[in-house]
Amino acid sequence: MAIDLIVDPQIRVWVFLPIVLITFLVGILRHYVSLLLASQKKVETQQLQDSQLILRSRYLRENAKYIPKAAFLARRQAFNREEDGYLTQKRPAVTQNMMTDPSMMTEMVKGNLTNVLPMIVVGGWINWMFSGFITTKVPFPLTLRFKLMLQRGIELSHLDASWVSSASWYFLNVFGLRSIYTLVLGENNAADQSRQMQDQMSGAAMAMPQDPKVAFKAEWEALEIVDHQWALADVESKLIGEEKLKSD
Amino acid sequence: MGVEKSDIEQLRIWRENNERKSREILDLWLVSLWIKADADTLGNEKYLILEQVCIAALDCHILYVAKNCIETLAKEFPNSLRVRRLQAMFYEAKEDFEKATEILDSIIKIDENNSAARKRKITVLKAQGRTVAAIKELTEYLKIFMADFEAWQELSELYISEQDFNKAAFCVEELILHNPHNHLLHQRYADIKYTQGGVENLETAKSYYSQALKINPKNMRAIYGLYLTSSALATASKCAAPKKKEATKLVEYALKEIQNRYTEADVVVTSLAALEI
Repeated sequence: MAIDLIVDPQIRVWVFLPIVLITFLVGILRHYVSLLLASQKKVETQQLQDSQLILRSRYLRENAKYIPKAAFLARRQAFNREEDGYLTQKRPAVTQNMMTDPSMMTEMVKGNLTNVLPMIVVGGWINWMFSGFITTKVPFPLTLRFKLMLQRGIELSHLDASWVSSASWYFLNVFGLRSIYTLVLGENNAADQSRQMQDQMSGAAMAMPQDPKVAFKAEWEALEIVDHQWALADVESKLIGEEKLKSD
Repeated sequence: MGVEKSDIEQLRIWRENNERKSREILDLWLVSLWIKADADTLGNEKYLILEQVCIAALDCHILYVAKNCIETLAKEFPNSLRVRRLQAMFYEAKEDFEKATEILDSIIKIDENNSAARKRKITVLKAQGRTVAAIKELTEYLKIFMADFEAWQELSELYISEQDFNKAAFCVEELILHNPHNHLLHQRYADIKYTQGGVENLETAKSYYSQALKINPKNMRAIYGLYLTSSALATASKCAAPKKKEATKLVEYALKEIQNRYTEADVVVTSLAALEI
């Protein structure tokens, strides 16, 4: 028990470092490939218009008190009119044609190409090439539960849990290189796999285009309850009042 | 090297602050950067600078510089819509409006949401003096880009030039909604309302001049505006008596303020006598 394992220095040169290097370089490669594949997102005119509409309505709500009451009412009428106001207009549902939209499909394929494929290929290759090595040891004792996490590919029940196997070392690298990528490639790079995995977990990768109807409804309601109080109703006397105070 | 560096930096500052400064940019370019444009001294900002200089040159109507910039850019980015827009601007500066519109239309055809190209099309119409057509195009534009502050501003000015004050007032209201703390907008709104005339509009104008003054007490035009509107109200026959009284007070206030300004500025006050009559 007291005698510790001594790992062959060759493992450091031929397993430990190569894994770090490979994961790092694959990340960089992924970044550039995804840059190559990235197509400029085309925004639908309709979508643009909707967002601008909501923006304008929000301005109207917030700063309504600075325009005369008649002006405010005219605007609210334009937004909230029963049959054809900006916020009450009828729209065909947008969610149906999502899957049939070819551009959507290519987007997804591209996403898979840069995310999942290298993950499988490189991960599989590393597993095959460097399997079965003990690469390093974490400098603190760990409980048996960690064996699953740190010693993938080595089924030795008597090995101390603080040893890390090559496959696990690869995964540690995949998740741990994020800050290095930010250092090398700048913020918002595509090299980081862990972020994309998180996206997939939460299902945000399939983010639906927001249904404007819901947003419109909320905006309609908010606009409907705005109580117009003209901020300038008393401004002249305030102006003069201040003056009076000053001269006193 | 040190001098060049600061020149480039200066250009960057102007670019980032959205300052036009066409004459200065062009001077900088012609004096020191022109010769080195081919070399790598401009670094990775080269094309940004070229664009900036190109627009500056078009502003100053020094077309050969602009042409040069556009050619370099077009060689580097043959498919860029941004470069094409510059080309359109070039033809616009040459007053070859048909060609400019043609290019802009082709840009819009490719990218429907290219707001810059759409705006340029409107400027072409404006440059041709076709205000009505420009207004029509601009309203179409605003149907999509409703939150575009600059477009509303432009539209209000176009309407004013057409003397369609009601619509101009609507646009300025929109501007005030966007930026309620800009005293110039309040003042502009009051100007329009004052021009429209009528007791009600004068009342509104009075309020907005006061608001402009409240935000910026140094706004001279607003003080004069306040003076004019309230004196018009004080003498209007349709105005109710208590309101007349208030208006008279405002007249006195405005007059006093103007006098104060003049004494502060140490100007001979004789010209003020005209106001007191």
